[in-house]
Amino acid sequence: MLDVSRVQKELADCNKDKAISGVSIDLHGGDGDLSHLAGTISGPVGTPYEGGTFRIDVRLPSGYPFEPPKMQFVTKVWHPNISSQNGAICLDILKDQWSPALTLKTALLSLQALLSAPEPDDPQDAVVAQQYLRDYPMFVATARYWTETFAKRASVGIEEKVQKLVEMGFPEALVRSTLDSVNGDENMALEKLCSG
Amino acid sequence: MADKETPPLDPAISPSPAAAEMGEADSEPSIHPSFQCCICLDLLYKPVVLACGHMSCFWCVHKAMHGLQASQCPICRNPYYHFPSICQLLHFLLLKIEPLAYKKREVETLEEEKHLDCFSPQLSEHVSFERVHLEDVKQSSRSPKSNDLPETVFKSATGKQVSEDDVICPICKKLLFQPVVLNCGHVYCDSCLSGLVDGPLKCEVCHSLHPKGFRNVCLDLDHFLEEQFPIDYMTRRDSVQLKKAQGPKGEASSSVSQAEEPKVGKSGKSKYNEFFFDGDSANVHVGVGCDSCGMYPIIGNRYRCKDCKEKIGYDLCETCYSSSSELAGRFNQQHRPDHTFELDDSQMLEIHKSRTVR
Repeated sequence: MLDVSRVQKELADCNKDKAISGVSIDLHGGDGDLSHLAGTISGPVGTPYEGGTFRIDVRLPSGYPFEPPKMQFVTKVWHPNISSQNGAICLDILKDQWSPALTLKTALLSLQALLSAPEPDDPQDAVVAQQYLRDYPMFVATARYWTETFAKRASVGIEEKVQKLVEMGFPEALVRSTLDSVNGDENMALEKLCSG
Repeated sequence: MADKETPPLDPAISPSPAAAEMGEADSEPSIHPSFQCCICLDLLYKPVVLACGHMSCFWCVHKAMHGLQASQCPICRNPYYHFPSICQLLHFLLLKIEPLAYKKREVETLEEEKHLDCFSPQLSEHVSFERVHLEDVKQSSRSPKSNDLPETVFKSATGKQVSEDDVICPICKKLLFQPVVLNCGHVYCDSCLSGLVDGPLKCEVCHSLHPKGFRNVCLDLDHFLEEQFPIDYMTRRDSVQLKKAQGPKGEASSSVSQAEEPKVGKSGKSKYNEFFFDGDSANVHVGVGCDSCGMYPIIGNRYRCKDCKEKIGYDLCETCYSSSSELAGRFNQQHRPDHTFELDDSQMLEIHKSRTVR
């Protein structure tokens, strides 16, 4: 049986200092299901993942915390230990090295550390690992490109907002400049567009 | 794991005034950081201390154990085979420090136990404690631990709550200094245990053997004692250090625990490994533990009680069966000395069974 009280404590504890730690975790859906969570980690500074926000699908088995949580990247990421196809993660603490004293927060922090320190000798994605070992500059460039394309929340978000506002009937160029002027705040942009 | 960020609810038990203000808005109850279980993240309930000195609740330790091979401490991954008995000293200490929260845990745990139809041992107060300050517990339900209070206030306030009688070593009869909790749950000063005669480490109170001889100071309890009885703790530290310096093995025992562990660990380990793994690894009784010494899983012969009706049963390992142990079951079974035993191999792995046949 899932230890509900522990999971609730973990959620509160993890989100208390998310601005500093760079990891956060929330319920996946609005139905209050504590066994399906959504984690995010920010890409570590000084790595090709810098500036990206990576979403992680977290499923808690009924034996949690005596069994490890099941974690998988939702955001596409180019990394030797993470599948570029489905986001599966190769990390010992999520498998046989799990300990019930570890938490969702420490697990997410470990994923963040994994982004900083890839282990190409124990790969999840053989293609990425091979590139990492044979052509490191190319690996960095690819990883950075993937971060830009898939993990930059702002750029992804902006496109959605632009589309939404354009659908409301505003000209695209005006929408873009307005969104820029209010730092991407959709509601403020709408207000400005309506009043202007 | 000590969590100093847990927002305190009650200003009386918060470490600082600032934290107290925060706590009023928060519904999370505060737990003394030393006494938060690293597994359920709640207040420790019926605490069990592993040989490495790390502690968890009775059920948390039991659920975290492997049942098929050596278990590892959730915090330091130190391998162990024995499920230690509940540390009664800590149990009654917690009941005093956090009476309300502890009672709440008791109710919650009992609910779960009813659901499982499997119960943790009942601990009665008069057995282990001669001097119980029940009235004090009733009068004021909180233990002030604020670091900001002057020490005089601090001392008189805590004196009503936890007294030194609650935390004395059975050997030196003084305040515990660098406490070590043995497999049987009894607590001693580390220095007192090193003063014992050579040979296997045995509890002075209940005479049960401490497996492997490996022991470590329970640092969470040690920190609590230092915080609670600062002056007496300092006195104890000075006297223990003086004794060490004067003792015949003065230079060697400057750091008793560190100096002795490898020695004891090494000799104990080879014997231990031999016992568990040399050829006889086939005799693993998966998920079955010894109700006397706590070995889990039982390796070697398993003796099952024919008369205990509880679902979990009552089992003994070879050593405890032949030493006619009188300890009660680990799960509150109604085992009696006149019950009869039989050899049982029903829980052995099929693969192992076939290997032994071959």
